[in-house]
Amino acid sequence: MVTNGVVLDALGDATRRRIFESLQSGPRSVGELAEGLPVSRPAVSQHLRVLREAGLVSDSKEGTRRVYRIEPDGLLRVRDYFDGFWAEALEHFREAARKETG
Amino acid sequence: MSTVTTEAIRKTVLVDFAPAEAFELFTARIASWWPVRTHSYGGDQVKNVILEPHVGGRLYEVTDDTERDWGKVLAWDPPHGFLLDWQIGEARGTEVEVTFVPEGPGARVVLEHRGFSEGDPRAHYEGGWDVVLAPFVETASKKA
Repeated sequence: MVTNGVVLDALGDATRRRIFESLQSGPRSVGELAEGLPVSRPAVSQHLRVLREAGLVSDSKEGTRRVYRIEPDGLLRVRDYFDGFWAEALEHFREAARKETG
Repeated sequence: MSTVTTEAIRKTVLVDFAPAEAFELFTARIASWWPVRTHSYGGDQVKNVILEPHVGGRLYEVTDDTERDWGKVLAWDPPHGFLLDWQIGEARGTEVEVTFVPEGPGARVVLEHRGFSEGDPRAHYEGGWDVVLAPFVETASKKA
């Protein structure tokens, strides 16, 4: 199971965010992604692996090349992240709104 | 645009404060309780969190050298509740609504975060991701 922490950690790296943003305009291959970035192809592949394991991108074979695309279910994971985000924020609020007793 | 809206996040807390007092704490004094260390762009650097109390008002964090917007007030109805456009820049994303209703001597505070949509990829990739993730990915990476 992919945890929300994994999702946000995956996007916590600036290069991975750029790769992810590049895929927003459409599916790309590793080579195409590497052309627009100051990192090597192996580094791009490594970043894509992290994004894939976080459920944020998926890959498929098109002819002789492998292309990567954004995984739509990723947004659901962001929603789940916010579930925990608000639970924690509201716990702080509840504590602040506690009246002294006794 | 045809999108399927996923289930909204809904959180309820019961507090000792009556609605008017709880509303004031949640809004005017948000900086006194908001967990900025984990729930902000700037983390420990955040000096203040401000929610401007009117329609069109901003919700933003303040650090020594900058301010960063978290959202904009779409509806403002003290002590009953308020509605925020949870956004960054021009992007329109999700909505956060907070309501305060009497519950015994205190209040029931209900927070709903909605608008996590699926369906039209461009619609949500262009708006949703940026809006939802931008303030928090940096925080999350600091914790790692």
